[in-house]
Amino acid sequence: MIESSFVDGNSLIHRLDPRFRVAMAIGISVFIALADRFPTLLISLLLSLVLVALARLGTMRVFRRLVVVNGMVLVFWLILPLTVAGDAILNLGPILLTKAGVLLAARLTLKSNGIILALIALMATCPVTAIGYAMKSLWIPEKIVYLFLITYRYIFVLEQEYQRLMMAAKIRCFRPGNNLHTYRTFAYLIGMLFVRASLRGERVYQAMCCRGFNGRFYLLYEFRASWVDWIFLTALSLVILLLGFMEWGMVL
Amino acid sequence: MWGLSDVHVSGTLEVETALENLNEIKLMHISEGVLPVSILVGGAVIAVTGTAIGLRRLDYNRIPQAGVLAASFFVASLIHVPLGVSSVHLILNGLVGMMLGWGAFPVIMIALILQAVFFQFGGFTTLGVNTVVMALPAVLVSFAFHPLKRKNASVVTVISFLCGFFSVLFAALMMGFAFFLIGEAFFEVGTFVVISHLPVMIIEGIITVFCIRFLMKVQPSMLYVKKGVINARS
Amino acid sequence: MGNGPLIMDLKDICYAYHGVDDVLSHVNFSLHADERMGLIGGNGSGKSTFLHIIIGILRAHSGEMTIFGERVRTEQDFFRVRQRVGLLFQNSDDQLFSPTVLEDVAFGPLNLGKEPEEACEIARQTLTDLHLSGFEDRVTHTLSGGEKKLVALATILAMQPEILLLDEPTSGLDESTKNRLTEILGSLAISYIIVSHEYEFLISNTDTIYGMKNGILKYHGDSSSLHSHYHSHPAGEVSHQHSDT
Repeated sequence: MIESSFVDGNSLIHRLDPRFRVAMAIGISVFIALADRFPTLLISLLLSLVLVALARLGTMRVFRRLVVVNGMVLVFWLILPLTVAGDAILNLGPILLTKAGVLLAARLTLKSNGIILALIALMATCPVTAIGYAMKSLWIPEKIVYLFLITYRYIFVLEQEYQRLMMAAKIRCFRPGNNLHTYRTFAYLIGMLFVRASLRGERVYQAMCCRGFNGRFYLLYEFRASWVDWIFLTALSLVILLLGFMEWGMVL
Repeated sequence: MWGLSDVHVSGTLEVETALENLNEIKLMHISEGVLPVSILVGGAVIAVTGTAIGLRRLDYNRIPQAGVLAASFFVASLIHVPLGVSSVHLILNGLVGMMLGWGAFPVIMIALILQAVFFQFGGFTTLGVNTVVMALPAVLVSFAFHPLKRKNASVVTVISFLCGFFSVLFAALMMGFAFFLIGEAFFEVGTFVVISHLPVMIIEGIITVFCIRFLMKVQPSMLYVKKGVINARS
Repeated sequence: MGNGPLIMDLKDICYAYHGVDDVLSHVNFSLHADERMGLIGGNGSGKSTFLHIIIGILRAHSGEMTIFGERVRTEQDFFRVRQRVGLLFQNSDDQLFSPTVLEDVAFGPLNLGKEPEEACEIARQTLTDLHLSGFEDRVTHTLSGGEKKLVALATILAMQPEILLLDEPTSGLDESTKNRLTEILGSLAISYIIVSHEYEFLISNTDTIYGMKNGILKYHGDSSSLHSHYHSHPAGEVSHQHSDT
């Protein structure tokens, strides 16, 4: 099932104001995306690891998540050392691994995982509704926020619906294979899901109208930033500032 | 491979097992930290523009409809269908476009934000690029589909297949192009992305055909997009 | 009743959601060929769970199941069970997903390895048997509630099951559809288990009646003796048998 498995917890990170968490996640992501030098990237990765540690999420669970989202990084490692021009570090007859290629793959691995870890620590620990409201207070247009919240609200309903349809197929001995019958069945299940979703959307809208909906949503959620939030934000900003100096200060 | 034994009444296992299975790596996202700033900014600008167009055509009273549909796309894109000895994720951006027109931009963007939050596939900096990669082909195939959808059944079958096929092909090409723009070093990575999506294109084509035929029969109003406005069923 | 050979034997079945709340606790149950059994109980009593366990979409946490003389444990075992045991869902909308009635009814036979023409032939025949000819090209999604129920039944019967499980088959049906259902069930020569909270329907369609409360299965009696008793206790959803009946 779709679950936000990192939301439960009572760590320092979990108690931070969601707006601050979203802002910090964006800040760190952008910084790491821009940075390029190895020392900066290593320290950034360390920073993300510290955040994950502070969120106390369980090493194994975080690791499993990391493995799954590293698919593209794996592709880089398989391709880049072979294709990037440069000095060879390993020569295995026809296969030539270049230093430049390995370094490039390593750099991308650091960057990618630094950002992913920061996202796990700061975003995956946030209730999704809170992220929606945080988006609102971070000047994201209201329409997107409503769309986001309604989408989130119905993901679980529709997932259950899909599972029930799948179950119906299963009790009639459906077994997926490489054949047209399988693809047709999946297409029908998906089509049915859309049709039901669309009808449900209608009903939701009608129910909203019955309760006086006139095209305006009201978001009832108030954030209250505490001094802990501010201290955390300030500390993190300072670290990033220092890292930024490390990255670009020497060049300037 | 996805076994049916994983589907339970309480509906808890499919995605979890998918995430724990290394065969199920999702490649339709460009990871965080790979692309240079210029491409990230370029992608973000196009994505914001597309989303703005999509949202402008989406009245407030159509938001529940679009939201529920976005949720169903999110769920449907987690489905694995068998392919050879392994299985693939459906992308379904073509169908999104055929049903929502420009609405594909906001809907796909929301789905990507949710994927970032739930699974950390993609994140903030690549949100723009990844949205464009999937949503732009969606809008393009919708332009091709709508003038032809009232023709006879065989035309609809062919055009549906092509829409499903090309929506993934364009997406893969755009992704490949993004890599190509980084520099020469990534040329092979880009080629790999395009080639590795070839089987998915065919399967998406087939699924799109059956799905469109299903919708035409069961709820044709879902395919009537007027100027990208999502219509009420009526 | 049910003097035929033993076809289903459940021993000490336990099931709990999330490993806590007991939905089924130490259920022992057996079904013989030609036995028609009713299971009554209130909402949340574990009746549907019971059926889902039999067909393997839920797995018991403990206990033993023997169906058609074979121990059933793995998904592979359950796949074989599903070829011979059909389940009618409480909500037909969850059961029907093909665009047209014919395709939906042919779906099961196709999964059993029948050729498309043969599957269509079986589907047509099943629809005719249920007096549903003319429905072949109707869009399943737009059928009425009663029609959906009958078509859903057709999708199961097309697989020629030896045991039929019906989960609240009467919910949301009007009298005439209920009567049609009774007629169809009467014409079937297979064993079935009906789960329902409608006493009257069970009485007229089954031989034996069990009750379920808080996950515990209890034998109530055979339908003929319970029948006369039923009307004197209008409030009694839960049947009980007097010693002298």
